[in-house]
Amino acid sequence: MDLAVHDLKLHKGRFIATVIGVGLLFTIVLAMNGLYRGNIHEGLAVIKATNPDLWVVERQRGGPFNETSTMPEFYHYSLKAVPGVERASPFIFYTVERQVGDKSRHFSIIGYDVFDGLGGPQQIHVGRNIARAHYEMVAHEKLGVKLGDRVPLGLHTYTVVGLTREAISPDGEPIVYLSLPDAQEVLFQRDNEEIRNQRQRLSRSLTRSLSPPAAEKLLPGLQPDTHIINAILVRLTPGVNRAEVARHIENWLYFSTFTTAEETQLMLKGRLAGMTKQLLLFRTLLLLVSVVIISLVIYTFTMEKIRSIAVMKLIGAPNLTIVRLVMEQSMLLTLGAFLFGLLLIHNTYHLFPKTLVLLAEDDLITFIVAFLGGILASILGLWQALKTQPAMALGG
Amino acid sequence: MEVLRIEGLTKIFGSGRLEVRALEDISLSVAGGDLVALLGPSGSGKTTLLLCTSLILEPTRGKIVFDGETIHQQNGWEGIDIRRIHREKMGFIFQSHNLIPFLTAQQNILFPLSLVGKKGEAAEARVRELLEYMEIADRADYLPALLSGGEQQRVAIARALANNPRLILADEPTASLDTGRGKKVMELLKKIAKENQSAVIVVTHDVRMIEGFDQIYHLKDGHLQNDH
Repeated sequence: MDLAVHDLKLHKGRFIATVIGVGLLFTIVLAMNGLYRGNIHEGLAVIKATNPDLWVVERQRGGPFNETSTMPEFYHYSLKAVPGVERASPFIFYTVERQVGDKSRHFSIIGYDVFDGLGGPQQIHVGRNIARAHYEMVAHEKLGVKLGDRVPLGLHTYTVVGLTREAISPDGEPIVYLSLPDAQEVLFQRDNEEIRNQRQRLSRSLTRSLSPPAAEKLLPGLQPDTHIINAILVRLTPGVNRAEVARHIENWLYFSTFTTAEETQLMLKGRLAGMTKQLLLFRTLLLLVSVVIISLVIYTFTMEKIRSIAVMKLIGAPNLTIVRLVMEQSMLLTLGAFLFGLLLIHNTYHLFPKTLVLLAEDDLITFIVAFLGGILASILGLWQALKTQPAMALGG
Repeated sequence: MEVLRIEGLTKIFGSGRLEVRALEDISLSVAGGDLVALLGPSGSGKTTLLLCTSLILEPTRGKIVFDGETIHQQNGWEGIDIRRIHREKMGFIFQSHNLIPFLTAQQNILFPLSLVGKKGEAAEARVRELLEYMEIADRADYLPALLSGGEQQRVAIARALANNPRLILADEPTASLDTGRGKKVMELLKKIAKENQSAVIVVTHDVRMIEGFDQIYHLKDGHLQNDH
C-alpha cells in the first residue's frame, strides 16, 4: 500500500503548490546553469570563430578581448616579414551604442582586412561576405537587421550584405563586421566642431613658441592617428614551430603573442572567471534554499501525520514502512519540482535576454544534487517520525 | 485458553525523592473470549497498565506471558519483536478512533492486513467481510473525515479485528461517542469476544458501559482490585 501517494492525494492542492514553488527555484538553478554555459559560449564565441594561429597584441596585455590592446596598424607589415608567418591581418574590436532602425542598440564592431585577411565571419547564414572596401557590413541576426537594410553609422550608411549566427561579443551583444578602414572611421569619427576646436587649441599652443605659418605647417602632423588596431591575427606557414615564431615576434617587435587556446584561457581565467564564480555561488545558494524548503515542507507534512505514524507503529508497522512514507514524499516532491523546472526552462530559455546554453549533463548533475538534497531534506522529518512513540496514539 | 497472564507487575517512574510507583504488584489473567474492564479515576494507573499490557511501556518488575510466550521477565523484553506481536496478535481501539486520515475506510482496514503480507483477493475479501460485519459496507470508499463518530469507531474496530488478534486493547472506546452509540460499541465488543474467542481489555471510566463484562478491575493508586 503506497501510503505516501494516498497522503499526497488528500493534500494535492498543497503538494502541487509546493511543487510549483520549489520547481520555480529549480528553474532558476537550471537557468543559472544555462547562463553559466552561455557566458562561456558568448565569451569565447569570437575567439573560436576567428581562430588564428597566433594573436599578436600590445606588450604585456591580455587583449584584445580580456584587456585593451592598441598598436599602430602598420605593424602587420612587419609581422608578414617574420619567417614562418604566412598571413598577418590587422584586427580591431570595440563596442558601440548606436541607433539601428528605430532602436538604440548596443553592439560590437569588428574591423578586418576584407581582402583575404583573417578575422572576418567564417559562416554567412544569409547573403555574402563583404566584397568591397567600404560601406558594406555583415551583422549577427541578433542585431535585428535584414539583408539589404541600410544602417547609418557615423558619417556614412552601410548596407547589410550578409547575416551571420556564429559570433557574438563576450558581452553577448551582436557583432557587426566592417572593413578595417570603415571600422576605424566609425570608431574615431568625431564631430566637425570638435575637430575645429582641437585644431585651434593646438594652434594656440604652437604659436606661443613658433610663428603662425610654422605652426600651421606642423598642425596636420599633430592630428591624432586613427590607424590604430587592437591585434594582429597571424596564420603560420604549415609545419613551422609555433613557439619559435611567437618568440621571434615577441623579441623583435616587442609584442605579446597568444595561441587561440591561450587566448581562450585568458578569457576563462580573466574576464569570465568572476561571472562564473558568481553564477556558481548563486546556483549553490539556490540549491540550498530548495533543499531547506523541501526539508521544511516534508517536516511539516510529517508533523501533521505524527499521530497517524504513532498509530501505524502501534498496530505493528515496521520502521521501513514509516521511512518509506516520509522518503517517498520527499522524493516525489523533489522529482515533481525538478521536472516542472526542467520543462519550464526548456520551453522558455529562448525568451531570456542573455544566451542560455542548456546541456543534458548539467541537467543530470543538477538532478543528482537535487535528489541527494531531497534525501537530505527528509532526514529532519524522518528523525521526528522514527522517534515518535506508539504511546502517542493512546489517549484523547 | 489463557491469552494474557501478568504476575507481580510493578512500574516505577523516576527515582529517589522523585520516585512514583504507578503500578504496584499487579497480577491478572485473561482467557480467550473474556471481556475485561479496567476502571479507575484519572491518575490511578489505567493508562500505564494499558501501556505495559500492550507491550509499549516496559515494566520495572514482573512477568508478562502472552499467548503462551513469556514476553517479560527479569531480562526485560530484550530480543522480543514487539511490532510483530502487535501486528499479528494484538488489536487496538482508541478513544479518538485514530483512523489514518488519508486512507479510506477499506484502506484503513486493509493496512494491518498488508503489514502481515496479506494482499490481493484474500485481503479484499477479509475487508469486505469486516465492513459487512460492522454494517458499514456502504462507507467503504469514504475518507474518515466524511464518516460520523460512530462509523469511524466501527472502522477502527474492524481494523483492530483484521488479523484475528488474540488480544484486543480498547482505550476509552466510547469516550467520544454519545451514550447510545457507546453502548452499541460495547455490545459489538462483547459479540467479537464471544464469536472470535479474542480477549478484550477495555479501559474506561464510564461504569454504565461495562454491563455484562466477565471481569471488572478497579485501579486505585496503582493497586488492582477485582470486582468479580
